[in-house]
Amino acid sequence: MPSFELPLVLIAILAGTLAVTSAGRGAWVAIGILALSSSALEFSIADPNRIGMALRLSAIGIGLAAALPENLFEVKALRRDLAPSTLVGTLREHPVVVASAIAGLLLGLVPLALPIESSSDALRAAGVALLVVGLPPLLTSRFIEATTRAAVVTLAGTMLLRTSIFGALDPLSALAIGAGFTCILVVGGSVATRISNAEGER
Amino acid sequence: MSEGEVLTAIRALFPALMALSSLALVPLLKLWRGPERDGAAIHATAGVQVLLLATSIGAALAGAGYLSTLKIGQISIDPSEPGRLLVTLGGIVFAVIVGSGEGRRASTMGQIALFGIAAIDLSLAIPAGIAPIALLLFASVAISGAAASGKDDVSRARAVFRDLRTVSLLLPAVVIAEILRTAISYAAVDASYATPASLAAGTALGVSIVLIVAAGVFPFHSRLIKIFEALPIVGSLLVGVWIPSALALIVMSELSVLASSITDPLGGAIVPGILLAGAATLIFGAISALLHDDIGEIVGFIAVGNAGWLALAAAAALQSPTDTSSRLIVLPGTLAISLFGLWLVSVRRRYGTTSISELGGWARRTGANGIALISAIVALAALPPGAVLAARFNLLLLGGNPIIAIFAVIGQLILIGAAVRLLLIGFTPQSHVVHEAETRPFANVITISLIAGSIFVAAAAAGWLSIEAGGTGPLPPAPSVSPATSFDPGPSADPTAAPTGEPTPSVMPSMSEEISPAP
Repeated sequence: MPSFELPLVLIAILAGTLAVTSAGRGAWVAIGILALSSSALEFSIADPNRIGMALRLSAIGIGLAAALPENLFEVKALRRDLAPSTLVGTLREHPVVVASAIAGLLLGLVPLALPIESSSDALRAAGVALLVVGLPPLLTSRFIEATTRAAVVTLAGTMLLRTSIFGALDPLSALAIGAGFTCILVVGGSVATRISNAEGER
Repeated sequence: MSEGEVLTAIRALFPALMALSSLALVPLLKLWRGPERDGAAIHATAGVQVLLLATSIGAALAGAGYLSTLKIGQISIDPSEPGRLLVTLGGIVFAVIVGSGEGRRASTMGQIALFGIAAIDLSLAIPAGIAPIALLLFASVAISGAAASGKDDVSRARAVFRDLRTVSLLLPAVVIAEILRTAISYAAVDASYATPASLAAGTALGVSIVLIVAAGVFPFHSRLIKIFEALPIVGSLLVGVWIPSALALIVMSELSVLASSITDPLGGAIVPGILLAGAATLIFGAISALLHDDIGEIVGFIAVGNAGWLALAAAAALQSPTDTSSRLIVLPGTLAISLFGLWLVSVRRRYGTTSISELGGWARRTGANGIALISAIVALAALPPGAVLAARFNLLLLGGNPIIAIFAVIGQLILIGAAVRLLLIGFTPQSHVVHEAETRPFANVITISLIAGSIFVAAAAAGWLSIEAGGTGPLPPAPSVSPATSFDPGPSADPTAAPTGEPTPSVMPSMSEEISPAP
């Protein structure tokens, strides 16, 4: 797994950045990729049974199935929204977020004080970068779907940072955090639907 | 699995099993009544009330002894005395509230209550650390989402959204506190780290923030008010009072262990800051409750006042870790606010309004509601003076600041004044709304259960039954938290300064193994 760590870290950070900067299909696909890559990173250490990873992926899968908007998987639209030029364009429109992700990555790579200095560099870098990318929209966004995605990015970053120091979660904690991911996605999706319905009626 | 293990599993997971069984029972009852929608709703509500009472009795019988401790591999579910007490009383409180609420969604609210108290029991049964706090925080989001469902109401949806954002922000705070807590053991053996006192202060701040924000301590009170304004009362009480109370028990346990593990005073201004926040919250909640004219908002502000006591208790847990007063006041406060919630739902159901100006003479028209509010006031004031009132005064003494203590006492008196104002309005001439409202005969199951439930809960809250001490029982100890063994030990600033495992004189060994020694 260590040989895959760096590519996975870069994929997770890119997916996290796209999840908070894109809208619609691009963002939801990015959340899915973030879930896969961050779970693979988090449970690659000290979890030979991969129970935690299975729980996490199932939980996020259920959450995504409940929260995904309709018509997400229209092939034409997907191809258009996920085209490299569209993704690069999205990132170029949000230079501050991209700069935050890079700064977070570099900050995370530097061994800090306290027990963090004995932690895994790659996981710490991914964790700090995702926290730096996810926290600002989580604090300030007025859009419910965007806030939900930012919450998922922040939670993934927090768990990666924790794993970099303490190792993989025990099964009970993995279950609680997995349930949290599902909860955020389902409740966020349901709130967004309800508000749009109420505003539609008005 | 042997018969004994099955029985242990049932004892350990009884509230959760009852909550899950409601998922089958309620649809079956509705199916049985067929097309009679009202009849189906009444039977489903009665079924859920029976489940709530059964949960209460079952939790009391199962208790928190070793016979109820379930071990599955490395996972341990060890029900605690405070958890079981909260379930026992919560089952009764919510059964009465669901009955008074009536309506087609009453059974759904009962199911939400079942899952809420099951989450509280489970979180207080698993070892302290990230899992129980995460479980409670996510349960809070799930409950507010479920309680707000069924109606496309923007204000409800916004309240849930606010809760989701808050919970997502609190989890990083918990993880940072966990990281800092681990660093204390490093600081004990390596002078190049920050001092144990300053690291303990950082940990205390991170853990206290969870309590302060979740409980609605000033200036984070608006979340609590929005919850009471927007969500149905079962959801409001669970998300705004019961879950924060369970969190408070976990946080105070963590703070006590943290404070007892260091001998130097905590760094920073953590304790004065929390004390100040507590007193300000009491005063703010009390004055706001006195000035508002909507009974939903008034109950919300009384809950804010109760959050002030939780903050004062957290500060006392840091000041005097061995004193149990801080944990003694959690349960009575929760029950007192629940009684106000019971009164609120009953009045709102009967008169269809929450405006004080339209509720003149309500107590004369519905005496049972008057008894419920008098019970709530008795619970809030903790009268006649006993263990609960003594614990509150003890908290103020432990705080060690007379000005804070005076402000807290004034705040509590104004809170009681705000509640008495609600009662006095009930004895003014009857308003048009109250006069026109339909009332049910006094000899009615719902009315009798409202009166009996109110008196019982007030007795528990005011300390007449002497059961509040169960809320101070120990929680399952935290597992040893240390950096993963797969990583290399961290080099210190001075490579020769290898950890020796000998604590510096400023660090006392922790009996609960809350803070593991550095590897």
